[in-house]
Amino acid sequence: MEVKLDKTYPVGASVAQAWAVLGDIRATAACMPGAQITEQLDDTHYKGTVKSKVGPAVMTFGGDIEVLALEPAAFRLQMVGKGADKSGSSASMNLTAHLEPGDAEGQSKLVGRATFVVSGKLAQFGSRLLVPVSDAMLAQFAKNFDAAAAAVAAASAVGEPAPAVAAGTPAPAAPAKELNALALMWTVIKGWFAGLFGKKT
Amino acid sequence: MNAPETKERLAALQGMGDSRLRKEDARFIQGKGNYVDDIKMPEMLHMDIVRSPFAHARIKGIDKTEALKVPGVLAVLTADDLKPFKLHWMPTLAGDVAAVLADEKVHFQMQEVAVVIATDRYAAADGVEAVQVDYEELPVVIDPFEALKPDAPVLREDLAGKTEGAHGKRDHHNHIFTWDAGDKAAADAAFDNAAVTVQQHLYYPRVHPCPLETCGCVASFDPVRGELTTYLTSQAPHVVRTVVSLLSGIPESKIRIVSPDIGGGFGNKVGVYPGYVCAIAATIVLGKPVKWIEDRVENISSTAFARDYHMDGEIAATADGRITGLRVNVVADHGAFDACADPTKFPAGLFHICSGSYDIPAAYAQVKGVYTNKAPGGVAYRCSFRVTEAVYLIERLVDVLAQKMNMDKAEIRAKNFIKKEQFPYTSAFGFEYDSGDYQTALDKVLEAVDYKALRAEQAAKRADPSCPTLMGIGLVSFTEVVGAGPSKMCDILGVGMFDSCEIRVHPTGSAIARMGTISTGQAHATTYAQIIATEIGLPSEVIQVEEGDTSTAPYGLGTYGSRSTPVAGAAIAMASRKIHAKARKIAAHLLEVSENDLDWEIDRFNVKGDPSKHKTMKDICWAAYNNVPPGMEMGLEAVHYYDPPNFTYPFGIYLCVVDIDRGTGETQVRRFYALDDCGTRINPMVIEGQIHGGLTEGYAVAMGQQMPFDAQGNLQGNTLMDYFLPTSVETPHWETDHTVTPSPHHPIGAKGVAESPHVGSIPTFTSAVVDAFAHLGVTDMTMPHTSYRVWQQLVKSGVAL
Repeated sequence: MEVKLDKTYPVGASVAQAWAVLGDIRATAACMPGAQITEQLDDTHYKGTVKSKVGPAVMTFGGDIEVLALEPAAFRLQMVGKGADKSGSSASMNLTAHLEPGDAEGQSKLVGRATFVVSGKLAQFGSRLLVPVSDAMLAQFAKNFDAAAAAVAAASAVGEPAPAVAAGTPAPAAPAKELNALALMWTVIKGWFAGLFGKKT
Repeated sequence: MNAPETKERLAALQGMGDSRLRKEDARFIQGKGNYVDDIKMPEMLHMDIVRSPFAHARIKGIDKTEALKVPGVLAVLTADDLKPFKLHWMPTLAGDVAAVLADEKVHFQMQEVAVVIATDRYAAADGVEAVQVDYEELPVVIDPFEALKPDAPVLREDLAGKTEGAHGKRDHHNHIFTWDAGDKAAADAAFDNAAVTVQQHLYYPRVHPCPLETCGCVASFDPVRGELTTYLTSQAPHVVRTVVSLLSGIPESKIRIVSPDIGGGFGNKVGVYPGYVCAIAATIVLGKPVKWIEDRVENISSTAFARDYHMDGEIAATADGRITGLRVNVVADHGAFDACADPTKFPAGLFHICSGSYDIPAAYAQVKGVYTNKAPGGVAYRCSFRVTEAVYLIERLVDVLAQKMNMDKAEIRAKNFIKKEQFPYTSAFGFEYDSGDYQTALDKVLEAVDYKALRAEQAAKRADPSCPTLMGIGLVSFTEVVGAGPSKMCDILGVGMFDSCEIRVHPTGSAIARMGTISTGQAHATTYAQIIATEIGLPSEVIQVEEGDTSTAPYGLGTYGSRSTPVAGAAIAMASRKIHAKARKIAAHLLEVSENDLDWEIDRFNVKGDPSKHKTMKDICWAAYNNVPPGMEMGLEAVHYYDPPNFTYPFGIYLCVVDIDRGTGETQVRRFYALDDCGTRINPMVIEGQIHGGLTEGYAVAMGQQMPFDAQGNLQGNTLMDYFLPTSVETPHWETDHTVTPSPHHPIGAKGVAESPHVGSIPTFTSAVVDAFAHLGVTDMTMPHTSYRVWQQLVKSGVAL
């Protein structure tokens, strides 16, 4: 099952500030609810986990992340992640994200294009919900990202480009240890009803 | 003779024609059935299966370490562990091999990769999650047409270099066989000279039989005696015993396969599945009983599917609608291993019954089997081998012809029927139809539903642009071929497709009968006893019927393809007649007259002209154990192995009226009228129940069941949340009717019935739904006809509200 998502989220911080987060794979991963980088293998290869809980079922995807491109000049990140869960699901994600100036001064936009390929149980049971769930997951990610970028802005001297290395741990932004699928479900159900009554979300 | 008294005696027998209640139901409705999962043995272990999340992948490694640390887990078996016993691959019924546990590669999603054996079911499941399998994904092929492209990925590396399969030449690495029937030159000539031709592409989607009870077994090996007992969900326990013996090397005499109560089969329980083999291997290795019961998701995903036929059909006809030729080309998606359950010589089953109820002088059919990354199977889901596909094809094609010629569906059928006086009739494909009277049946149905009035109503609705519904009328006149079959044509793994019956009559006038078949819900214990009751004159109430235990039942080929009544039913009648013949000799001896001086009457032999001098069967039973004619063996028992001289050909006329909501696409079945002719009727109540069941399963297939795959080979629809099983809420009201045209070659004239309603109803639903759009030029709609799909057609045809 393949899901393609093309999304733009507003970020309340400047491109340079936001890049301090996006340019750092650990910081970016920390914005993804339930995600964690567990090990760095070399400059571009990492190991990580994504944990999600739906009722009593906990799924832990463990896998590899490869940064394919990191272009500070274009504020662009391209990465591919691939993981499997012990109970028989596997997922891969190809993500390209970049930053653009926002509508107002000191703001920016996070533009992401992601392709998820899911196999196994998740694709069998969840096929109908996969698009809205991915959507909702990314929305949570964007919210955390926005907060992380704002934290960078607070920690940095105004006007100076945020040094990516120093901003390596904008930690307070993403405390979620696992993807809270119940909260997520609510978002999904709201979205589904909205869609049912023709409301464009 | 006293007529009311005779009537009473006849009624007391509850023989053929009596709607006696099902003997099985008393235990089923009290929850006291004995299914495989009810069987518990001391020290019994539990098995669970590690399955592949991928449809096509190379296995780079399997790490059992963590699994073996799980408390309660005793063993983890992989293909490498089965290799020394040569059990990692097994032969299929279709002459191919199938992996028991994936050997280096997985070929479909949910394929068995490893098994975990533990002290309880929970530990086994935990163990399964802890087994680490390292996969390298490979390109997935889901579409059989893609599979046949020259550069398609090689699915079966184990068959590299094999240009010859079990059914002839393989011309591509994903090609299994090409099989044909009929006379191509004659069919081509009919098309060259035809005034009218029509063609239609039809897809019969992949579906799953989905019995209420999933598959499973309890295998128990006694290492001291060297005996293996296995309780198993099988529609063919003797065949399983033979296969297990061939695989394991254990003599058949030391293997006991028991099919206890079976909760529905519908073809799903014909095959031998990896779970059975692994449980048997595990009990031999561990010396303790091992239970394996699959869950619903495993059942739908990995045990035998049905159909998946891509069919192109063409009909040639004269200018006035007389069919002169039929050509059919099928691409059959068999999945990863060719595990179709067909008689060995017929890789496409009896698909060549596709000339149907019609007198078609020239016909040709070709079926090409193809490998894809889907689960293997290809079983006869409540039908004789591929007969559902065949009936769907011809009935849809005849509709398309009627549409093109602007003729009525009933009229074109009547015009092309094989006439009553043409039986026995040999079809262009070589089948010898035993008996039939299609016109009488058709007339009966058309009159019962007032067909003319229905057509008038439909015309009025079509003329009214503001009518909120589209009305469709489906009509099907099907002929099945069941009761496989004559051993000169039909065998399974070399064993002829006879069936058997052994009857033992006890001194006090009761009896036990054992057969090689096994009821999966057909009420054999009820109906078989009725045949014996009528044949030998003992009440069916005191005749016990036992099936399914290979240590007690005579060898038989099992229950599928509506073969129980045509084959085993005949064996029962013949065995009964042997007993009857011996009883006559004993009666003559007791009455001191010649055998020729005796008349048989219901339950006794009367001396001709003096019925006051008689011996009842009960008297004879007693005498058989103490006073037999000089030179005669004592006892009263008989065995018969029946090799049918021909198939039987049940038929029926089905009519369906649907109303389609132009706003939502929701299809209401307003009326469904099913007339069946199964020859002699043994128990009308059981027949009606079987017809209701078959119609409901037909409704499920036509209106909702599907197994959709995505590009990665994920099966999206393997839970009952997605896979449609109709309940009383969705199921339409059924009206049933019958005619009786006995089979001339069957000892009691019975033809078999349980599958006709499935085979016949599916094209009837499609015929009705398409008919609703016929005036808009639509000739085909692919099943299932869900509201969404029908709504899409409404939009496409410009009639959606």
